[in-house]
Amino acid sequence: MMISLIKTVVGSVAALGAHGQQHGLLHSHFRVLTAGLKTLEIPPDYSDVVLPEKPKLKFLNKVPNFKKARKEMKKLWDIQGPAKAANTFTSGQYAIVAMGGGYLKWGHLEMIRLTISRKMDSRTTFARWRINAPYKPITRKGLGQRMGGGKGAIDHYVTPVRFGRLIVEVGGKVELGEVEHILIEVAKKLPFPAKVMSRESLEVFQKTQADMEANNQNPWTFKRIVEGNMLGIRKVLSPFDLKNHGRFTGKFYNPGRV
Amino acid sequence: MAATLCGKLLPKKGWLPLTQSIRHGSKAVTRHRKPMHFLKQKLMAVTEYIPPKRGPPPGAYRPQTPVSQEQESPFTRMLKRDLAAVFQDCKMVAVVQNNGSTSEDMLMLKNRLHKHGIKVKFFPNEVKRSFIRGSIYSNMAPLFIGPTVLLVSEEPKAKEMLSTLRVSPQMVLLGACIDGTLLSVQGVANYARLSKLAVVQGELAGGLSAPASLTANLMRRHPAHLTALLRQYVEQQGKEA
Repeated sequence: MMISLIKTVVGSVAALGAHGQQHGLLHSHFRVLTAGLKTLEIPPDYSDVVLPEKPKLKFLNKVPNFKKARKEMKKLWDIQGPAKAANTFTSGQYAIVAMGGGYLKWGHLEMIRLTISRKMDSRTTFARWRINAPYKPITRKGLGQRMGGGKGAIDHYVTPVRFGRLIVEVGGKVELGEVEHILIEVAKKLPFPAKVMSRESLEVFQKTQADMEANNQNPWTFKRIVEGNMLGIRKVLSPFDLKNHGRFTGKFYNPGRV
Repeated sequence: MAATLCGKLLPKKGWLPLTQSIRHGSKAVTRHRKPMHFLKQKLMAVTEYIPPKRGPPPGAYRPQTPVSQEQESPFTRMLKRDLAAVFQDCKMVAVVQNNGSTSEDMLMLKNRLHKHGIKVKFFPNEVKRSFIRGSIYSNMAPLFIGPTVLLVSEEPKAKEMLSTLRVSPQMVLLGACIDGTLLSVQGVANYARLSKLAVVQGELAGGLSAPASLTANLMRRHPAHLTALLRQYVEQQGKEA
């Protein structure tokens, strides 16, 4: 069968050669390749990437295991302001970065874990948590109870997240385009606004903020006015505005502020 | 009361106020965006970011000094090297425009030309132009417009090339550089019509040695013939005078 195939091919080529441009049906109308200067991008080299043994996200407990569960104060300041911990990349290439403050409950964490573990290819990618399992107890009073009668019982636990904190890191032998749609899907479902960033884009984000601070043409900055308490403005501002320089209001982030 | 109580605990350090007001109302961190105090709104408006003035867009003003060529890719450099080698080795470099020739036509053409030792070279026009600009062949620049192809050969074989190109309808000769001389289409045709160098040399040699051979012939004949010729020559001279 192969030999007959080869014979027909050779026959057609010979026919072409013999008759030249007479044959209409057997004409090869492929264009003559002209010289060009197009150079293609070199694909990335993943030879130095080491994949860990357990690429999928670890299961996080709903309740931390201590013998005596203590009720805690609200401490809403753990949502406020920028993140100091876990705001840079460690092992991965791409991450979900929080663009606001909020609490992550166990349900959110399960959603993240299941979505990412289901959608990613465990042979080429790995994912890592950058947040702790829920440890902050949130109390709730029973339905229909009146004010008073002590603090409510612990209802559930949450993880506080500040602006700029990485939630999940993904890495491996992949490019952003392969992983982006999974992370965006997860980022949309989080209780605070979140963005998918790569190492480079996070650097760019930080750099633009630094550049804005450096080349601001406005001689009046929030920081300058508040630190000098000009016009007695601190009467209407909170002590956190001293630290945050007007970039944060409560748990929200105000973009474009310097 | 607080002052008297703490009098011993904090001696001479500071003082605690008699009344301490507890802030009530919504907390600092709320689920909704808290309405800002009007003065804070004013402060936020005053302290907005003002970006630096943008300069003119990049292509607006032409720079005073001509901007030197920016990075040539290694591929371009390699192609230029090849082109330089082609120009160095080959005496004839013809520029031909090919308008939609199929791969089959190209194959036939290459085959025919190969029999005469002519090669078909493909180079991007940009590379050709940038190479030509810096070399002695700078006047060839107007030839490299459109889909052009170089036909090169070590020996200038214009006649064979013209005959081959006459057969293929899509190839149009634009010009050629033969032996360092730029020729137009007419010039190439004239060059093709020239006879071979050996033949011309033979003719020249023959022409130079013609008087000598004539005198040698005269000397070989009978001296009476020579005297008769001389007498006739003198008579003619006399008549003219």
